[in-house]
Amino acid sequence: MRLHLIELILFSTYAELRAERARSYLGLLWWIIEPAMNMAVYYLVFAIVLRTSQPDYIPFLLVGLTLWQWFKSCVSHGGYAIWQGLPLIRQVKVPVQVFPSVQILADTVKFLFILALLLVILWGYGYPPNRAYLALPVVLLVELVFAAGAAYVVAAVMPFVPDLRFVIEQVLTVMMFLSGIVFSLDAVPDAARPWFALNPVAVLVDAGRGILMHGLWPDWLALGRIALISLALYAFGALLIRRWTTRYVKLPT
Amino acid sequence: MSALVTLESVGVAFNAQLRAAAARFWALENVNLTLARGARLGIVGRNGAGKSTLLRTLAGIIEPDRGRITRAPVSCQLLSLAVGFIPHLSGRDNAILSGLLLGLRRREIERRLPAILEFSELGDFFEQPISTYSTGMTARLGFSVAMQVEPEILLIDEIMSVGDTEFQAKSGAALRERIHSGTTVVFVSHSDAAVREICDHALWIEHGCSVMQGGVDEVLRAYHAAAPAAQ
Repeated sequence: MRLHLIELILFSTYAELRAERARSYLGLLWWIIEPAMNMAVYYLVFAIVLRTSQPDYIPFLLVGLTLWQWFKSCVSHGGYAIWQGLPLIRQVKVPVQVFPSVQILADTVKFLFILALLLVILWGYGYPPNRAYLALPVVLLVELVFAAGAAYVVAAVMPFVPDLRFVIEQVLTVMMFLSGIVFSLDAVPDAARPWFALNPVAVLVDAGRGILMHGLWPDWLALGRIALISLALYAFGALLIRRWTTRYVKLPT
Repeated sequence: MSALVTLESVGVAFNAQLRAAAARFWALENVNLTLARGARLGIVGRNGAGKSTLLRTLAGIIEPDRGRITRAPVSCQLLSLAVGFIPHLSGRDNAILSGLLLGLRRREIERRLPAILEFSELGDFFEQPISTYSTGMTARLGFSVAMQVEPEILLIDEIMSVGDTEFQAKSGAALRERIHSGTTVVFVSHSDAAVREICDHALWIEHGCSVMQGGVDEVLRAYHAAAPAAQ
């Protein structure tokens, strides 16, 4: 049963990626072009128009956006997944958590390509690999758990309240600005800092930049706290889906 | 004969609307049913009586909101065509995906791919994306995959005739062979002739309630006698 579920998730992910490639003229190239265009837009606005006077702004932005876009696509694609899977849920007996899991996995595969490219670019930019890279898998794993948890929660609720899709993009945009992706959070008042330290994305991006740009080991205490928050969110999301799993099929078409 | 599935006063409610306080609509109110091993049960009833809901409840797609359903540990599947097909994938990939969704293991499907290819008569098109297929070709692939799933209880919603005339005869024959191979079957149909041909007993449901379970002729006679009264 469990093995069958894994096979189903893996093959569906392959099918998803393959179909996505076939749907466009440039196919796989979009995996790279789309995030690159996104980065160019932020570079244009913040570095050229607003003249952000921050040292190392380009690598700062690249690392931040790479980690952010992975999180964002997991939440938005995964969040829609059960809602979009309703026709199939009415047709066959299929475990509902498959739908968000497939999206998260597909977005993670794409992210790994972009990450590899990012590492090459950083090297070319004068930030060679360093010993702290050993901590990178830990940071990425925590981010994956957090993104999956957030995606599960949104996915579980969306079929009951499809209106959520009008809200989710806005919430994600606000979250991006509160996570110090495109500009540094140094200006945040001291009083507000403990709150920002609870934002997993901000902490993870900060850790990522430390590793990739400065060869610094992550703040393990902060990372541990975020890991706990992420695991709790993941468990909560999985619980919601499990709890409501028999109700999706009874929703109106 | 031992009962494979028993339904006792089973009811299924759907949400009528996406509103917090929306009323629920009982598609099944009170259904009693006993399915014995090897039985071929026909379900008759008017449009909206709850026949398809009952079939999906038997398949485990829908959980009852009241009553009790007891199942022996056997596989029970609705015969469904082209489940989860993705237009941009090849016939082969779609066959694997659909098979996985229907509960087969990956290696079971891989082993059956030659049979699927042969039965569907797709030839070289098997490796092409199904967006290039005609309606008939997609239906042939869908049927060929569906026939590879061999549940102990086969649930059928109307006899399906797919593809061109030739394939209709072939798929109809394959389905009849499966039905008469000793499999337990639950069959929903509007056609008396089909129910008489396939089933050894029948269940009549009306407004989500089981009215009568018994011999095919007996149930059909009572069902038609009640028709004017019900309208």
